[in-house]
Amino acid sequence: MAQQENDDTSEQQAGRSLTMSRAMVEAIAHEMREDDEVFYMGEDVADYGGIFDSTEGLLEEFGRDRIMDVPISETAYIGAAVGAAQAGMRPIAELMFVDFFGVGMDQIYNQLAKNTYMSGGSVNVPMVLTAAVGGTYNDAAQHSQTLYGTFAHLPGMKVVVPSTAYDAKGLMHNAIRDDDPVVYMFHKRLMGIGWLPAPDGPKTGVPEDDYTIPFGSADIKREGSDVTVVTLGLHVHRALEAAADLADDVDVEVVDLRTLVPLDTETIRDSVAKTGHLVVVDEDYRSYGVTGEIIASVAEAGLDDLDAVERVALPDVPIPYARPMEDEVVPGVDDIAAAVRAARGDE
Amino acid sequence: MSGTDDRVAVETSDRWPDDADEDVGVVVNWFVAEGGHVEEGDSICEFQVEKVSVDVPAPVSGTLAEIVIGEDEEFERGDRLAWIRPV
Repeated sequence: MAQQENDDTSEQQAGRSLTMSRAMVEAIAHEMREDDEVFYMGEDVADYGGIFDSTEGLLEEFGRDRIMDVPISETAYIGAAVGAAQAGMRPIAELMFVDFFGVGMDQIYNQLAKNTYMSGGSVNVPMVLTAAVGGTYNDAAQHSQTLYGTFAHLPGMKVVVPSTAYDAKGLMHNAIRDDDPVVYMFHKRLMGIGWLPAPDGPKTGVPEDDYTIPFGSADIKREGSDVTVVTLGLHVHRALEAAADLADDVDVEVVDLRTLVPLDTETIRDSVAKTGHLVVVDEDYRSYGVTGEIIASVAEAGLDDLDAVERVALPDVPIPYARPMEDEVVPGVDDIAAAVRAARGDE
Repeated sequence: MSGTDDRVAVETSDRWPDDADEDVGVVVNWFVAEGGHVEEGDSICEFQVEKVSVDVPAPVSGTLAEIVIGEDEEFERGDRLAWIRPV
């Protein structure tokens, strides 16, 4: 897989590899050593290390004042994080599942996202809200959503969605150092947990030193000339698998958005100008979401470049619990390949 | 193959969780590829037994000469997971 920012590919091949969770934790630990104002709070983030390993090992190094388990009240602890951020600290607060955002939503979209504006710039909110997202492991309708589009729709939050360990570390450094609120959405299936095996792609070489990946820079994970597939998170890996399956017939380019806000429309438009065929793949719901937004942003600026458009997303239904039914609604490799063929007119 | 060279075995008996009844584990992740350099004490792989994840540190610094138990493969307590050629 292409690693755009990595100039030293030999180090990546011969050196150590990390899971995505370990890469995230490495960035958090680095920032906590550099800056005493950085701390982490959430449900089961201390003794348990995060139920998806997002804080594994941090309690031992930093102790309970900086790695804090909180009671089950998202309103209380996200609100506390917003206040701490406004007072000059750099909190990281974790939503155990993004599906739980509803019980703390006022703190997220009216306080975290708007307080810089509402205060006339007299305070800012330099915090990170991390959240586990995604399905594919039969956890049913209230624990399987991605909800990327919901957060990206509401102004005032940057929205980050990593797909590899290398990207996860660089994006986490950038998120913690950002002076504005960042929502960092990590897909459970990519973390590299024993009971939830990841596909092959997300575990990558990761430099030991710190580095940042700027927001608003999409990454071309696979270059191709025939069809552009724009996607994010887990579906980057499914798109790459579909592209490999189709390689004899169709040359597919895979664009990994990496951040939804800010959105790198330039990379998407340049790719579509080259290929003429756009397929957008998203694990979030189909309507009023990422797929429609990407297609509209391309059409607005370059309608003439578009010969064909397809979108592959979750249908507008609660995500089923039963494995065959969940597999049916979550876009799979075959669904992406079929959409690529359809965009080429050779269904 | 053991005893024919100076390679050091990577094994898990001293890392096995004290309260585990199970004697079979599964390797979840390798963090170094064959041929890669390892430093003594660095986590080189992770296994799981009874849903507990355990990191395995490199017993010596050197080159990871051979991975015996690959990712998602099961092994029994005491089995050798890999060989390191010290430097």
